[in-house]
Amino acid sequence: MFGYVRPMKSELKLREFDAYQAVYCGLCHTMAKRYGFLARFMLNYDFTFLAMVLTPSTDQPRTCKRRCPAHPFKKRSVCLCDDGFEVSADESLILAYCKLKDDVADKSFFRGFPARIITIVLRRAYRRAVANRPEFDATVRECLELLQVLERSNSASIDRTADTFARILSAAAPVSGIETKDRALGQLLYHIGRWIYLIDAWDDLAEDARTGSYNPVSVRFDGRPEEHRDSMRVTLKHSLNLAASAYHLVDFGCWSDILGNILFLGLPTVEEMVFQGTFPKRNRIIPVWSGEEKYFRN
Amino acid sequence: MTDPYSVLGVNANATDDEVKRAYRELARKYHPDNYQNNPLADLAEEKMKEVNEAYELINKQRSGGGGYAYQQSSARQESGPRSGSGQGNFAQVRNYINAGQIDQAERLLQSIPQNNSGEWYFLAGSIAYRRGWLDEAAQNYNLAVQLSPANAEYRQAANMMNQGGAGYRPRQYSSGMDAMDCCTTMMCLNCLCDGGGC
Repeated sequence: MFGYVRPMKSELKLREFDAYQAVYCGLCHTMAKRYGFLARFMLNYDFTFLAMVLTPSTDQPRTCKRRCPAHPFKKRSVCLCDDGFEVSADESLILAYCKLKDDVADKSFFRGFPARIITIVLRRAYRRAVANRPEFDATVRECLELLQVLERSNSASIDRTADTFARILSAAAPVSGIETKDRALGQLLYHIGRWIYLIDAWDDLAEDARTGSYNPVSVRFDGRPEEHRDSMRVTLKHSLNLAASAYHLVDFGCWSDILGNILFLGLPTVEEMVFQGTFPKRNRIIPVWSGEEKYFRN
Repeated sequence: MTDPYSVLGVNANATDDEVKRAYRELARKYHPDNYQNNPLADLAEEKMKEVNEAYELINKQRSGGGGYAYQQSSARQESGPRSGSGQGNFAQVRNYINAGQIDQAERLLQSIPQNNSGEWYFLAGSIAYRRGWLDEAAQNYNLAVQLSPANAEYRQAANMMNQGGAGYRPRQYSSGMDAMDCCTTMMCLNCLCDGGGC
């Protein structure tokens, strides 16, 4: 997960903005409570989106006031005590940890060193998360293994490579037993996952070309992805359309408008930025922390 | 049945006009055109039915209030390749796809020789589409059109891929990214993120 899934701030109502911030803070608190202080650093916007999708719909977000190390003086409103947050926190940790493990395996000793340190520090937290969500952990590992096989064989299919990550994300929604909801959430998360994977691949084109790493988009278009910009945009748009069609079939209660903002405004804007090359490159090791402050100021 | 007003998302004391507007918006949202080939088409159809029933009920209760529910076209919208057409095995593949048995459909299709048949590529495209493998679906649909340019079904599928699918966009988000000029883009970028470091 890479922090591409965010709302467009200017189009959020004030109360929606407060709710979004409360979810972000709530997830951070939940991670700290369950996995210790350092787990907070694994947090990013994508997981905030997941928390909203997984939280049972109510008319109003339930919040309380809390202090935290980042805001020691003023209490902030925090959305807490929901199953959705716990699931999301567990899954965030599992995913972030497995991703770091992958980075360690892919990189040379020195370049992978910071990631290696973090994986060592987080190992115990990871084991606890696995005990909470064994099936999700199994899916993540199975899919990442498959992804490695595809990468090694230099796969020219953007669908198959993206499928590995999309399946991870669609497995993030626990089965509720309500058929409509399960199928719709599955499709929503699948296509958000596909979109994230492909956007990330496009964003990495230049860097991968420099380092000679595998990039599915580059292989798919015979090393000339620039000429196929339009067909890439079409397939991304199609995924967002299929995600949106699934979104319409689920009642998200008080999260509905924020999720709509993300789907119809936030994601297209991020896509536009990535294709213009103006999306800020992130620190890959520590997903987001400092970002939150900058994002919410203003 | 649940409260028809809550299905339409309006108050019980809403005016006829408000009810009608809410109904129209929902009918637009769940319109079968937005869910063509979509694996969730059946769910949208159910929603549409629910909305229609609620509207009819409200109209009946308020009796005399004009307006009829949106009539669905007489033929049920297919949520996949039309069933039954094509010969033998191909027809069976279509049935599997429509029943959502994608793995079976693929296995059977793989056992049929390709023979440069448009139908084969069309079905391969439909299977990929059901999985969400959109790039592969587009490639197969385009091959099908090349092999049988006269087939309207193949062309329709290929066109849908070239447009990036269809979808309903709620009004409040319509201040669109679709036709965004340079200035608005820059404005949006400023809104999204304050740049650097995040």
